[in-house]
Amino acid sequence: MPELRADSMRIVDGYRLEKPKRDALMPGGALRDREGRTRQLPRYFYEVESWDAALEQELAPHFNMWEFIQTDVREATPLRFFPRYVPCAVTLTAAMLERFREAVGEPVRISANGGYRSPQHELTSHASTHCWASAVNIYRIGDEYLDSRDRIGRYADVARDALPGAWIRPVGEDRGFADDHLHLDFGYVIAVPHDAPGDPFNPKLEGDPL
Amino acid sequence: MTFPSALDRDRAPSLPQNLDALRQRIDAAARKSDARAIAVALHDAESGAELHYDADRWFHGASTIKIAILLAVYGEIDRGRLAPQSRLHVRNRFLSAYDGSPFRILADRDADSDVHASIGKTMRVSELALHMIAMSSNLATNLLLDLIGLETVQRTIERFGLTGLDIRRGVEDEKAFEHDIVNRVTANGLVGLLRLIAEERAYSPELSREMLDILHQQEFKKGIPARLPRDVRVAHKTGDISSVAHDAGVVYAPGRKPYVVAILTEWAADAGSRSPTIASISHAVYDYLRGTGQEGSDA
Repeated sequence: MPELRADSMRIVDGYRLEKPKRDALMPGGALRDREGRTRQLPRYFYEVESWDAALEQELAPHFNMWEFIQTDVREATPLRFFPRYVPCAVTLTAAMLERFREAVGEPVRISANGGYRSPQHELTSHASTHCWASAVNIYRIGDEYLDSRDRIGRYADVARDALPGAWIRPVGEDRGFADDHLHLDFGYVIAVPHDAPGDPFNPKLEGDPL
Repeated sequence: MTFPSALDRDRAPSLPQNLDALRQRIDAAARKSDARAIAVALHDAESGAELHYDADRWFHGASTIKIAILLAVYGEIDRGRLAPQSRLHVRNRFLSAYDGSPFRILADRDADSDVHASIGKTMRVSELALHMIAMSSNLATNLLLDLIGLETVQRTIERFGLTGLDIRRGVEDEKAFEHDIVNRVTANGLVGLLRLIAEERAYSPELSREMLDILHQQEFKKGIPARLPRDVRVAHKTGDISSVAHDAGVVYAPGRKPYVVAILTEWAADAGSRSPTIASISHAVYDYLRGTGQEGSDA
C-alpha cells in the first residue's frame, strides 16, 4: 500500500471543530507551565481519518503518523475515536526524529502516550510539550530498551550532539525526571502551514499570532 | 463459551451434612505434609454443604488477590469507565505503596513474559485481565491496578460486603513488603468472592460469565484440578510464593451443581509437596461431595 505524503494531509482549524473535540483539544487555549508561565496551545491540526490512514501517513522516511498518536484509555474520550487531530508541529518533530535516527543508526520507537497527547489526557500535567506534538518519549532504540541510567544517558548524549536546541529530560526517579524512556523535547512549537485556514487580517489583532 | 447454570443458593441441601469425614481427610493431608498451616473453605450449591476449616485464618494472599482486582476491573467496565477493548499503555514502572518510590516487575520473576514483550506498546484491558489470571502476569496485574486505583478495589470489596480480603498494594512491591504492607486473604474470603462471580451476582450475569470465562482459562493446574476427573472443569486462581501456596476456584462436575472451594497453605521456604497437598485436599472434597469419599485413599 503506497504511503501518504505529509502534504496530502488535511489541515483543520481547531476553533471550528465540534464542541466535544474542541473542549478536549483546547485550540489556542493556555496551559500553565511548571514555573507558572502561560504557554499557548496550537490552533491548527492535521486530521487523521482512520487508524489505517495513520499507518500509511508518512511524516519522515522512518516515522509514520500512527507512532505519534498511539494513546491509551487515559486520553480524553472524544479523542479516542477517529477522526483524530494532531498539532501541525508533528511534521517538524518527525523531521527532528529522523535526524536523531540517522545519528543512532537504529530504529527509534516512540512509546504509547509518548507522542501527542491532549491537554485533557490523564497524564497531562502543567504545559506538557506532548500537547504541542513537539515532544516524544522513546522507549526503545534498536533492540535496547531505555530502562537504565546508562542507556538513557548514552542516547541523550547522541541527541545533544545531533539536535542542537533540543531539551532532554534528565535521568532520575523523581517527578520531572525520566527513568524508563528518553524524553526529547523541541519546546512549545506552534506550526501554521501555508494552507492553514485563518481569520481575515484585522489590524487590531496585529502582533497576536492567533 | 457457555457455563453450567449459576449456583442455586435456595436449593435445599440433599447430600451428607456430616463433614467430619472430610475434616478427618484434611487433617490427614495436613499431617502428611510439611505445611505450617492449612485452611479450607467450601460451599456446595448442590447440597448446601459448607465446610470452614480454619477458614478465617489470614494468609499472605499471593496471586489469589488478582481475583479481587479482576472484580474491580469489571466494576469499571460496568460503570462505563472502561471497555474490555480499551487500550492501556504497557509500562513497567510502578510506585510503592510504602513511600511512592518507583519499582519494576522483574521479567525473570514473572510467570508470564508475553506482557513484558509489549512494553512501550498498548494491550487491551481484556487481554491484560486474561494474562493477570490465566498466566498470573504480575506486570498485567500492576498495570490494571495502577489504572483503576487501589481504592477502587477496596471500594468494590466493601460494596459487595465481602470480608476476608485485605488488598493494600500491587504485586512485587518489595519495599511495601519489607514494611509489612501485605495483601491478605482468608479461605472464607476467597469463597465469598468466587461465589459472587459464580452465582452471577457480580454486576450482571453477562459480566459475571466473562469473569468466569477468564478464570476457566487458568494455565496452572497442579492444584485443585490436578486429581479430578478430566470431565470436571475448574474456574480458578492459584497463588504461589515462597511461603504460601493457594488455589481457589469453582468446580463444575457433570450432573451436579458446582461447588466453590479455597485451599490455602503456608510453608517453610524450602518445603516441597505444596501442589500435591492442595491436589490431595481438592480430591478429598470432590470425593466427599460425590458421596464416594468415605474410604478415600489419598489422605
